[in-house]
Amino acid sequence: MARRYDSRTTIFSPEGRLFQVEYAMEAISHAGTVLAVLSKEGIAMAAEKKVTGKLLDLSLAPGGEGMGGEGTEAWMGGGGEKIFLLNNNILAGLAGITSDANSLVNFARNSAQKHLFTYDEDIPVEMLVQRLCDMKQGYTQFGGLRPFGVALLYMGWDPIYGFQLYQSDPSGNYSGWKATCIGSNHSSASSLLKQDYKEDLTLEEAKSLCLKVMSKTMDSTKLSSEKLEFATMTLHPQTKQPLSKIYRPSELDGLLRDLELGGTKEDLIGAMEGTGGGGAVGNVAIST
Amino acid sequence: MSRSYDRALTVFSPDGHLFQVEYALEAVRRGTCAVGVRGSSCVVLGVEKKSTLQLQDPRTVRKVAMLDDHVCVAFAGLTADGRILIDKARVECQSHRLTVEDPVSIEYITKHIAGIQQKYTQSGGVRPFGISTLVVGFDPNDKIPKLYQTEPSGIYSAWKACSIGRASKTVREFLEKNYTENLERDDSIKLTVKSLLEVVQTGAKNIEISVMESYGVITHLEQSEIEKIVATIESEKEAEAEKKRQRLAATQAGQASMAMGSQAVSGTQTPSAGGAAGEGEGHATVPGGESGVQ
Amino acid sequence: MECSFGLTGKDYVLLCSDMSAGRSIIRMKSDENKIKTLGPHLAMAYGGEPGDTNNFAEYVERNMRLYHIRNHYPLLPESASAWIRRTLAESIRSRKPYSVNLLLAGYDTTTTKPHLYWIDYLGTKAVVPYAAHGMGVYVSLSTMDKWWFNDMNKREGVDVLKKCIDEVKKRITVHFNFNCILIDKDGIHHIDIESEDPITELESQQPKETLVDAPNPPLDIGNVGVTA
Repeated sequence: MARRYDSRTTIFSPEGRLFQVEYAMEAISHAGTVLAVLSKEGIAMAAEKKVTGKLLDLSLAPGGEGMGGEGTEAWMGGGGEKIFLLNNNILAGLAGITSDANSLVNFARNSAQKHLFTYDEDIPVEMLVQRLCDMKQGYTQFGGLRPFGVALLYMGWDPIYGFQLYQSDPSGNYSGWKATCIGSNHSSASSLLKQDYKEDLTLEEAKSLCLKVMSKTMDSTKLSSEKLEFATMTLHPQTKQPLSKIYRPSELDGLLRDLELGGTKEDLIGAMEGTGGGGAVGNVAIST
Repeated sequence: MSRSYDRALTVFSPDGHLFQVEYALEAVRRGTCAVGVRGSSCVVLGVEKKSTLQLQDPRTVRKVAMLDDHVCVAFAGLTADGRILIDKARVECQSHRLTVEDPVSIEYITKHIAGIQQKYTQSGGVRPFGISTLVVGFDPNDKIPKLYQTEPSGIYSAWKACSIGRASKTVREFLEKNYTENLERDDSIKLTVKSLLEVVQTGAKNIEISVMESYGVITHLEQSEIEKIVATIESEKEAEAEKKRQRLAATQAGQASMAMGSQAVSGTQTPSAGGAAGEGEGHATVPGGESGVQ
Repeated sequence: MECSFGLTGKDYVLLCSDMSAGRSIIRMKSDENKIKTLGPHLAMAYGGEPGDTNNFAEYVERNMRLYHIRNHYPLLPESASAWIRRTLAESIRSRKPYSVNLLLAGYDTTTTKPHLYWIDYLGTKAVVPYAAHGMGVYVSLSTMDKWWFNDMNKREGVDVLKKCIDEVKKRITVHFNFNCILIDKDGIHHIDIESEDPITELESQQPKETLVDAPNPPLDIGNVGVTA
């Protein structure tokens, strides 16, 4: 039964490459874009939703309108499809195969709770990233397993390093960033970020940079909460404790309107366009 | 069916190869270069550092790691594999201290790392680690610097100077040519930088140097210090090239004068005189150059 | 037959332990160091079943070190106390429990606050401004109740400690030698509690001279930037 173990996934090619890992990365470059920008005051993250549909009922999904009371500042659920709360102090945006992503999120949440259990503190951001990456690495080395087809952006805060932004890929590598992007069009988004990123951004500027780059990279011309998830990681002004906030659809639409990047509900846009294109005013900034 | 021999690791190919191990070495060759040089009382680790992108946090790019106070390791190959292996080694360092109340010796931890790597070439269903490592340090209560190398196959060996990763062969040849016994601290560092410059075209900004001088004393050179060393090396090279040019010019001039001398029979100045002047200190415009032509 | 106490001040924490080792009423040694440094700003004074104590202290030391070397920064006092407590709590429910009581003292470099934890072999943890284990409990707690106050400076803290030691000497028939450390933002310092004015002595010396080495010198790969 020699063939029981010699799965093709975990072996080197003659050039010393791991093709399965490279293919997994390829899979991610078709997934919805996730990008995040770090500032001194906090971090902003935006993610493009791919699963949309007129009849899809998102009201009861995590982050949906039907969940949580009004005015709940930090909503402790998840964005539903792309952005998840891993721990009090860490949010992650995922790009790749959704089912793989779900299992990674579960693993991450477990790890974070285990750390809380032994050390009575929120897990430091880099440590959680390392935990996940160690597991991902294992899936590239042991037989019979294919790598996780998921890349993640993690944003978090801990008392040692403050706000941090990390990115990890299927190979089990990770790296820290000031602003970065995964998923489809990540190269063009990265160069946009590089162009427009400035040291000492405020959180407001980070949010707007995040969404502006998103609007340029996404295929659709108008941004709205139906195609987008958005979250921030800040510190509570009084307690100085991390405050993660996944935006409700209504809040996100509000933000998009403020930034003049869209935000109107799909049907409303239609109505306004019908009356002479007034609804397009907000989209002047979109050039792609 | 010869192709199936490079699938299952536990199997030799008919001509006695373990293909996966060899391919893992390829992965090492794809990694950036790392160099270790042992001096008389210190050991130097130099690594080629990929330039961090503008928006990247340089803190998270780690190619050199401490295993314990007195053991430092650099690796080349798959970064994620490196992280896992380093973590295993770190645990062993502390576990060793706990069980025998002594820090690990450099050979011990090298052997341990190589042992793990070997296990992954023989166990079912795993691929080998795609990394080579350089382990440096001092044994407790000892003043002799140590430098070891491990490979994906699980081989480990002690070296006076060694390189792994991209273009390691070129660097090794360079080291073989230029290594001398009992190097002082500054000379060891210089040799390390020099050998790295064989493969690193971009100079100081892509070089990282760590020097271990005695048990537990390690310094990581500042960027500016490395820049200085690179500058001296460059100016030396420049001087060397200048000398060569002058020697060449002198020889040519000599030949010319010889040619003339054979006609006029007055060749008092030997060609070698011009060359000797060129070998002298500084940029003295070779007297033999102009005056050689008589 | 042992005695240890600790107290926190404004920006430091003091830890003091007797130095006797023995069995029952017999003393075998009076210069045993029963304070273990666990990191650049963390130390514990331990007592209990001889053998268990050393074993446990070394186990903790190595685990703290492993955390430090893996993450490039040491475990903060709060989290270290949680880990130690849990280790003891799991131990007492195991086949071979450790019988160790300890006082854990640390200085949190991120919040610049001193911390003191009282932990016993049952896995009880209490966050306290001052505390004692062993014989000291009977006489020094009341002394500290009376003289301890918030935000004491170093001199005031040492005075209270001296009062405790005097009380132990006066009330307890056993003679103890004491070993004392102070942890502040610069690290762990040894203090000669028998001297007239230990703090002046401490301040007159070069900072390096008084520093008690952390189990291992701190690593500086990765440049730990500590943010408030």
